[in-house]
Amino acid sequence: MNKTVSIIITLGLVIVIGIIFFGGVENKSVENNVEIKNGIQYVTINAKGGYFPKISTAKADIPTKLIIKTNGTYDCSAALVIRSLGFQKILPQTGETEIDLGIPKKGEPLQGICGMGMYSFLINFN
Amino acid sequence: MLKTYTFYVSGTHCASCKILIEDILKEQDFVKSVKVDLKKEIVEIETDSNQNTEKLATILTEKVKGSGYTLSVEKQVQEKKSDGVIWQAIPIGLVFLILFFIFQKSGILNFGIGGKTTPITSFIIGLIASVSSCLAIVGGLVLSLSAKMSQDNINDTKTFLLFHIGRIFSFALLGGILGLIGNAIGINFTFTAIMGIIASIVMLFLGLNLIGVFTKNKITLSLKIFNFFRKIEHKTFTPLIVGFGTFFLPCGFTQSMQVVALSSGSFMSGFLIMLAFALGTLPVLLLLSFGSASFAHGKHAPLFFKSAGVIVLGLGLFALLAGLAGLGIINPLFSI
Repeated sequence: MNKTVSIIITLGLVIVIGIIFFGGVENKSVENNVEIKNGIQYVTINAKGGYFPKISTAKADIPTKLIIKTNGTYDCSAALVIRSLGFQKILPQTGETEIDLGIPKKGEPLQGICGMGMYSFLINFN
Repeated sequence: MLKTYTFYVSGTHCASCKILIEDILKEQDFVKSVKVDLKKEIVEIETDSNQNTEKLATILTEKVKGSGYTLSVEKQVQEKKSDGVIWQAIPIGLVFLILFFIFQKSGILNFGIGGKTTPITSFIIGLIASVSSCLAIVGGLVLSLSAKMSQDNINDTKTFLLFHIGRIFSFALLGGILGLIGNAIGINFTFTAIMGIIASIVMLFLGLNLIGVFTKNKITLSLKIFNFFRKIEHKTFTPLIVGFGTFFLPCGFTQSMQVVALSSGSFMSGFLIMLAFALGTLPVLLLLSFGSASFAHGKHAPLFFKSAGVIVLGLGLFALLAGLAGLGIINPLFSI
């Protein structure tokens, strides 16, 4: 194979890798995963093959609980780590896990990540 | 009468190589004096032998081959050749990486397995795990070690068997222990993340090695590590230990199964669940290790080693960044 051709193909492939990793991040924060019941805000995130929605927006300054739903989840998203809370747990394969977030402050987003580090989610507080 | 011959030497990777080559060659009766110049990669010998130069090179190579050196009359054009190979290997490696990550992103692997976990379901979970992103770290490690061993002409079949036996046996045993004591071992996230980072560094190192960066530039810093690897590669128990170590590598599936084994309540049930899981991961890993061995002994060996090196580097980098993100050292850079 010609060296120049190879270099051109390589550059093309590198761009594809870039798109796979950094592009196409669906910012589907439109999903209605935040609700307030009896003065407590519940943020629900589904964990299976990643965390959905990846980015959520919730209100700041009210007591908040995070609910992680698993449904036959065996992959990395079952191994949840939330560094800012010192939380790390292997979630049950199927079920709901409730995590108390206290009263989140404005502008301090909460990040959760799976044990291996390739899935993550973010909750912004406004 | 004495004649002086100059040969090109390849395979020298350390300062002590000079002494070793000189010692071996001096033992030959017909060799009167030896001088090795590592910088120029030449060996000068004085001899009273009447053989022609080619014949001498072959005879002397026989003596030093065991230590990994080759003498030749003409400077080996390998470097030029491998330059060409690397430009073929990079696109090939990248294509495999792209296919792998697209496969992960496709969500095909995310179907649920409901109900109670039995040895049969854990076998299926093992099958899924073996093509999941866990493959990036466990498979990457298997591929890099296998390719490296084949490249070094170590008895690879025996080594691979020991690795897989060690892996399956320790999974089953540790699963049994988990079921027995009902307590966590190896589930500490920070510990597994650190194990993952170590594994990814090994992968990056072996990947560079497979591509041939180290042999070309002879980075002195790497020599100690290099010798360390050379040493451990030859030991029988090393593949067993590495197989054992894969239990602690970060892989969501492994960790989930550990929890299942943990809550199973008895030695036998934990043993069977982890055994089935390990057996489920076996086909893909066997394919990786023996597949690479057959390529390594085939016609396209140099291309295979370099392509494998590119793949391993990519996976190693992925695992390293993910591991650092998992430890909270860096922000998660990507999401697949």
